[in-house]
Amino acid sequence: MSENQNFEPRIIAFLCNWCTYTGADLAGTSRLQYPPNIRVIRTMCSGAVDPVYVLKPLLDGADGILIGGCHPGDCHYQTGNYKTRRRYVALQEILKTAGFDERRVWLHWISASEGQKFAETVTQMVTTIKELGPNPMYANWAV
Amino acid sequence: MKSMLPVQHSDVLEALRGFLKSFLETGTVDALYVPLETEKGAIVPALVTDPARLEHLNPFAPTMPINGARAVSALTGKHPPAHMAVLLRPCELRALVELVKLQQASLEGVTLISMDCPGTFELADYSAHKKNGGFDLPAYLAAAQTGQDPVLDGLALRNACQMCVQPVSTQAAVSLHLFGADLSSGIPLEIDDELAGKLEISPVAAEADHHKAVVEQLTARRKQLREKELLTIRMQMNSNGGIAGFFDTCIRCHNCMTACPICYCKTCLFRTAAFDHEPEHYMTAAHRKGAVRMLGDTLLFHMTRMNHMSASCVSCGMCTSACPSDIQVGAIFSAVGEQVQAAFSYIPGRDLAEPLPLITFQANEWTEVGEAK
Repeated sequence: MSENQNFEPRIIAFLCNWCTYTGADLAGTSRLQYPPNIRVIRTMCSGAVDPVYVLKPLLDGADGILIGGCHPGDCHYQTGNYKTRRRYVALQEILKTAGFDERRVWLHWISASEGQKFAETVTQMVTTIKELGPNPMYANWAV
Repeated sequence: MKSMLPVQHSDVLEALRGFLKSFLETGTVDALYVPLETEKGAIVPALVTDPARLEHLNPFAPTMPINGARAVSALTGKHPPAHMAVLLRPCELRALVELVKLQQASLEGVTLISMDCPGTFELADYSAHKKNGGFDLPAYLAAAQTGQDPVLDGLALRNACQMCVQPVSTQAAVSLHLFGADLSSGIPLEIDDELAGKLEISPVAAEADHHKAVVEQLTARRKQLREKELLTIRMQMNSNGGIAGFFDTCIRCHNCMTACPICYCKTCLFRTAAFDHEPEHYMTAAHRKGAVRMLGDTLLFHMTRMNHMSASCVSCGMCTSACPSDIQVGAIFSAVGEQVQAAFSYIPGRDLAEPLPLITFQANEWTEVGEAK
């Protein structure tokens, strides 16, 4: 979309301390390039990301939300990310039905050794969100 | 087993009173949770220990001041202090099952009694009607017999009741049937054999049992209406810039949350200071958007509540009845809740053995989630 060419999405990223946050660190220390559109918040587990943390920025106008966690089976707390997955499925259904673009909320499994994957995911997400355009909630004052 | 409560002189209330009294008089339970009627004709749910108090009994009054599951939660806690029998509408019973799963109520020593529910009217409608003369119970029961929706001075049932597709319960130890029944000679019931023994009730076969047929016909009709209404809401949410417009008139009284049987949290996030921002915050937001709604976070409240309880929403519609701004909260939550429930193949209130969708998981499900597309 041409009108979105100058649009720089704001993406809030909740990254699990043990995998994705460390993966992001690896991407940095490996000097991998990825777009600077994400604002990272470190959480102890993707399972600690209460859906209200996702809803608040989304309703305030953030263009995308990324939740990063360990691969299924690799959770530092055994089963946290399995619960994240179910919560994510429920949240996606709610967003879809309530008329939000659920493609703005991503859940990705990225391990501590996957710096490359982290950089690719962020790049891919920024491209996708640019195509979607700005979050209409940003301009909606009556919420 | 199937039996029949004998009705004399067409007095169904007296028949039911006698039946419930027998619970206390035989010592089967120590207390009953039932709806009583005050002198002024208001319906008030109460915990009854003295059989004499049952002179005020009136479970046929078609109004629902609270969802009784909340009362049973208060009465039982983790360990009920006594044996009790609770008379609940099917939606109350479903909510109770959810509360037990949420560890907010216990069924230990609790005897569940359910009665078919033809539907309820708004509390204000029923009170106004009651003041202007009596309530026509025979007409109400006749509507149930044929499976029609009852009316009250031309007023329709509560919206949630018009759309209710589960007006009977199969989980109770005693199920009293109103649908398809001619109550002039007796109230048909299904009762647990052991309980029947204690209450000295013996099997009686109904002459002609229309219960199943009437329930099927009634639920088929309501299902159509429900699907149509919920689809309309889903389409509006999709076309009018989302769900936001539905809550334009919300005054943030939190009545929906207070009335909801599933919302049990003692300290709800929205009753804490979590969203009390510094004054500067609102200025910043106003500068950013040009204007900002006060008080803020209204949609966030509803979306968060949806996220917390929609998997367990039993569509009792207490939220709609409690809303002072006439927002169809219940229908909106049902429209969303049904999608969440479908994703997990979960039907709230169906079975105590089914775990809540968000506290359980399988390792090998939704394996595509979290992987690059």
